Amino acid sequence: MSTGESKSDILQGTLDLMVLRTLETMGPQHGFGLAKRIQQISGGALDLNQGTLYPALLRLEQRGWIRSRWGTSDANRRAKYYEITRKGRQQVEKESEEWSRTVAIMERFVRLAEED
Amino acid sequence: MRTSLQRLWALFRGRRLDRELHDEIEIHLAMQEEEFRRQGMDATAARLAARREFGGVAQTQEIYRERRGVPWFELTAKDLRYALRGLGRNPGFTAAAVLSLALGIGANTAIFSLFHVLMLDTLHVAKPAELVTMFRTGAWGVGISSYPLYLDIAKRTDLFNGVIARSGVDKAPFRTASGDHPETAQREFVTGNYFAVLGVAPAIGRLFTGADNRTPHAHPLAVLSNDFWRRRFAADPGVLGRTLVVDGKPLTVIGVAAPGFRGVEVDHHPDLWVPAMMTENEIMEAGWHWLWIMARRRPEASRRHVQAAMDVLLQQYLAGVYGNHPNAGFKKIAMDQRIEVRAGAGGLSMLRDEFGHSLSVLMAAVGLVLLAACANVANLLLARGAARRKEVAVRLSLGASRGRLVRQALTESLLLAGAGCLLGVAFAFWGERGVLQFLPAESAEPFPAVPNALVLAFTLGISLLSAVLFGLLPAWRSTSVDAADCIKSGGAQSSGRQSGLRKMLVVSQVAFSVTLVALAGLFGHSLATLRSVNLGFRNPAVMEFSLDFPQAWKAPQIQAARDRLVARLEALPGVSLVTYGAPGPYRDGFSKATIRIPGSEITATAPAWVSIQNVAPRYFEALGAAPIAGREFDRGDTPQSRKVALVNEAFVRKMLAGDRHPLERILDDPLNPTFIVGVVPDVAHGGVRQPAVPTVYLPAARMAKWWGAILVRSALPREETARAIRAEVERLGPDVTGGDPKTIAQRVDDSIYQDRLLATVAGFFGGLALLLAAVGLYGVVAYGMAQRAREIGIRIALGARRGKVLWMMLGDPLLLVAAGLAIGLPAALVAAGTVEKVLFGVKPADPFAYLATAGALLAIGLAAAFLPARRAASIEPVEVLRQE
Repeated sequence: MSTGESKSDILQGTLDLMVLRTLETMGPQHGFGLAKRIQQISGGALDLNQGTLYPALLRLEQRGWIRSRWGTSDANRRAKYYEITRKGRQQVEKESEEWSRTVAIMERFVRLAEED
Repeated sequence: MRTSLQRLWALFRGRRLDRELHDEIEIHLAMQEEEFRRQGMDATAARLAARREFGGVAQTQEIYRERRGVPWFELTAKDLRYALRGLGRNPGFTAAAVLSLALGIGANTAIFSLFHVLMLDTLHVAKPAELVTMFRTGAWGVGISSYPLYLDIAKRTDLFNGVIARSGVDKAPFRTASGDHPETAQREFVTGNYFAVLGVAPAIGRLFTGADNRTPHAHPLAVLSNDFWRRRFAADPGVLGRTLVVDGKPLTVIGVAAPGFRGVEVDHHPDLWVPAMMTENEIMEAGWHWLWIMARRRPEASRRHVQAAMDVLLQQYLAGVYGNHPNAGFKKIAMDQRIEVRAGAGGLSMLRDEFGHSLSVLMAAVGLVLLAACANVANLLLARGAARRKEVAVRLSLGASRGRLVRQALTESLLLAGAGCLLGVAFAFWGERGVLQFLPAESAEPFPAVPNALVLAFTLGISLLSAVLFGLLPAWRSTSVDAADCIKSGGAQSSGRQSGLRKMLVVSQVAFSVTLVALAGLFGHSLATLRSVNLGFRNPAVMEFSLDFPQAWKAPQIQAARDRLVARLEALPGVSLVTYGAPGPYRDGFSKATIRIPGSEITATAPAWVSIQNVAPRYFEALGAAPIAGREFDRGDTPQSRKVALVNEAFVRKMLAGDRHPLERILDDPLNPTFIVGVVPDVAHGGVRQPAVPTVYLPAARMAKWWGAILVRSALPREETARAIRAEVERLGPDVTGGDPKTIAQRVDDSIYQDRLLATVAGFFGGLALLLAAVGLYGVVAYGMAQRAREIGIRIALGARRGKVLWMMLGDPLLLVAAGLAIGLPAALVAAGTVEKVLFGVKPADPFAYLATAGALLAIGLAAAFLPARRAASIEPVEVLRQE
């Protein structure tokens, strides 16, 4: 499915944080809107199979980090909207921290490799 | 927690959620399509692009669904329908799988329903784990004790929170005071503290206390069991205060025990309890052993501690009673007794003592049967999985996830196990009755006719377990398919790992059956040895039954009733001879006595113990065991005539040093001599397993108070004679009870029922395991042959001889059998070591059993492999190569 080397596959688990952050900053979104935002923010560098978003949404909902309801879109279409919960925001905070730490650590290793 | 609840909830809303997801995806696709159209694509291109962006719709739905439900338990209607369709398409496979499972499950259920009654159940009393039983061992009977000994043990309040004693349960005639219709009830004599120590409450009225068991014959009271109260008196509370005439004695009902309490003996359940003081016999007689003693241990007194205390107590007690006995031999035997302190939680059970070991062996054996059946079904599933590789590949590439396919395969396994479980319960019902047929009627009593909830739970458990056992591996294996490869090659490609697994399963099947067949061989050989024992008589068709009179009856009354019965039986058509003996042939309560034989070295220093039988004239004629020397008793041998005795060959051998002329030798006191007037053949009165012991036969006419068994020789069929006998016994009136009339042959069979049962069950399941192993072998060989058809074709085309091809194809299965034997034979040897106790005249390492086993397995292996091998050898190379 992957066509070019410029696009990267999504790391397991990172999709959750992307979804949560997107919902946190952009407010309630429907599935299509979310997929589009995520692709936009990544600058088109992500090879996101839009379909994989839905099981991820279900997982987040089962954990109580997001909730969903049926609503009406701008184009007067019926759609299911997803919204971050308080528990979800806490989760974002936690995961963001972890992520920054991971990045910082990886950064050091990468630089180490260059110095060698 | 929340997640699993949601998932569980989602199970029930599955269909609605499916639709919702479907809608959501539709909307997503529509939005994307719209956007692409706005960017200038035409309608068709936009729709396709939207789909491409989204990825696999079906896949998404599948993953979503899986995430939503609880995967292991979700048996959607769809999966069930799919599995049912699949099973229906392969009726042969389904029948084979269900049948072998049902046999395995049924056998386990049947044996378990006996096993748990005898080995696992605990008494329905307070804190059963604290109970211990005092099992007396020594020359004088086993288990039971006398009342004076009970009193001594009961004094040990430092060790026990209460000690009780009870008689065995016996069948007593009873009448209600108003009605004179005679009935029988199971009666048990108990000490006053019986209910209090066991922690049993009354349902109505009151139960015995110590005050109800103080003075001999002074407490005419009865407590009814709850079952009896419901069964006989329809749970009428008005039964309190009523009088029941039990065994000729009026007793007042004072209470009914709580429901669920059925006494402390597993084998027999009492209907009513009577204070021990109400016995007719002299209760303080130290030589009268009739009570089972149970005690509630104090928490701080360990069983070891109690055992040590009992050892001391018994020796002191015996010294007090027998210490000054003038007869040294008697004293030695009297002092040589012990009390074994045994766990009492499971209650008393003579049956457990004698049958428990065999039952454990059977339980293990049927466990093996189930394992073999599971291996067989796993093998069948693997074979079918191989045939369905292409279907699996197609479904995988259409978006089915592997987890879902595994789940479907497991659904199928569960269905198979479910069907096997249902059919197995039916088999169990039939099988349990079959097993109980082997038991003597009185031993079969404690076992329920219908499996109870616990047994059914066990069945369900093993069914589920077996579904996982046989289903999981094949399910996993048959879905590990490389979709693309498989479809390209048309599904014909074989998987080496798969056939390796199948071979492993076949080897394990062979190993299981080796163990079972070897056990069957051992039991069969043991039974044959038992059957070949010379029983000493030639008339096994003679009928025999015991006769019981009320305790209150005096000797002349008993004698008159017996003689009346004998006369009436003699007058029956077809009856040629009626006689009697005590204890009679194949009766367990045999009597013993010490004697001195003037002139014998054996009894020069101390008298010797011999078995005593009291027999009437023509006793040996009835048995078909004519005296070897002298005569048997006749009507001239009365209490007034000269004292005479018969002895058996074992007596002559051991007590008279093989004297060639034993007639007219004197037994016992030379001043009041008893003369030997005949030598009779050894009749194994103690059972087939016990070699004949030195026995002295005395005239029954000299017994102080008659008891025993009546022998009837009749030309009529067994059932007819038995019916006539029962009718005649009934004519003696309601107070006399007769035992079940049986032929001596039946008594012999009863005495070796465990051997017959073990040989039959092991033989049946050994045969079954062989059959399953053969099916497994056949499957593997046929499969291997199909895989190698091309290779064989080429070999033949290149000039290989067909005979050689045949042997080449046979080599593989024989190797499997050899591997199975290599594992199974040592296992069988270990198993045989545990059954040594129940073998007769056969060693656990009996070469016959193992050679026969190896031979049977090899023969089965060859037979199973021969057909496919011959087919392989007759392959026409042209046809095979043309197929390519």
